[in-house]
Amino acid sequence: MSLFSVLSVSASGMAAQRTRATLLAENLANAETTRTPEGGPYRRKDAVFISEPAAPFGEVFQSALGAGGTGVRVAEIIEDPREPEKRYQPGHPDADADGYVAFPRINPAEDMVDLMGAARGYQANVAAITAVKDMIHRSIELLR
Amino acid sequence: MLDPVANSLERYLDVLSARQRLMASNIANADTPGYKTQDLDFQAEFRSLVRGASPHPVEVTGLQVRNDGNNVSLDREARLLAENALRFNLASSLLRTEIRTVRSAIKEGRSG
Repeated sequence: MSLFSVLSVSASGMAAQRTRATLLAENLANAETTRTPEGGPYRRKDAVFISEPAAPFGEVFQSALGAGGTGVRVAEIIEDPREPEKRYQPGHPDADADGYVAFPRINPAEDMVDLMGAARGYQANVAAITAVKDMIHRSIELLR
Repeated sequence: MLDPVANSLERYLDVLSARQRLMASNIANADTPGYKTQDLDFQAEFRSLVRGASPHPVEVTGLQVRNDGNNVSLDREARLLAENALRFNLASSLLRTEIRTVRSAIKEGRSG
């Protein structure tokens, strides 16, 4: 029985949530960015998760055990397809001929709510690791 | 291993571990679109595992499905996570006393 492989399942959840939190923080930081290497204003990014077998090591155990435990990973990072927001600022260096500047369409409330969700998800995974660690500890106690 | 009681306890710990793994998966996939909550039929698994079978996860029905097709309820998973850990504690304590009994039998035999 592999209680240890449960740790890698929860760790994959933590890594995925951390990636998501990074992207959300990036969105907030770039809420007013009008220039990017690709050209044009910054576009809001978000992570899409997909479930997958935990680890190569865990898979061996799984096939021996039959009970599937699936981890998670970031499948892709999507960019917001919405059009940038036009604001009338004729004095801005990135203003177009009509005096409008294209700003990223970022709603700070949206990102803050998602950021809270990511933090809670991370905490839930940490709680799972703590519970499993306690179980492993109990198993080791049997030897004493 | 030792006797029927210890054997059952060992299987019980096995089922608990398998279930805990599913709980961890559910929590890790709480934000994965389309993921469905998985669980074990505890009683049935325990009985079949005593006969040497391996556990089969099933999808849990009756949970609220969100817009992205995911139906993981963090409250449910947290409750089961705690419950599994407590059951595991109890069973491992019982197994420990079983082992201690055997150990004391060995020791007594040695001194006599």
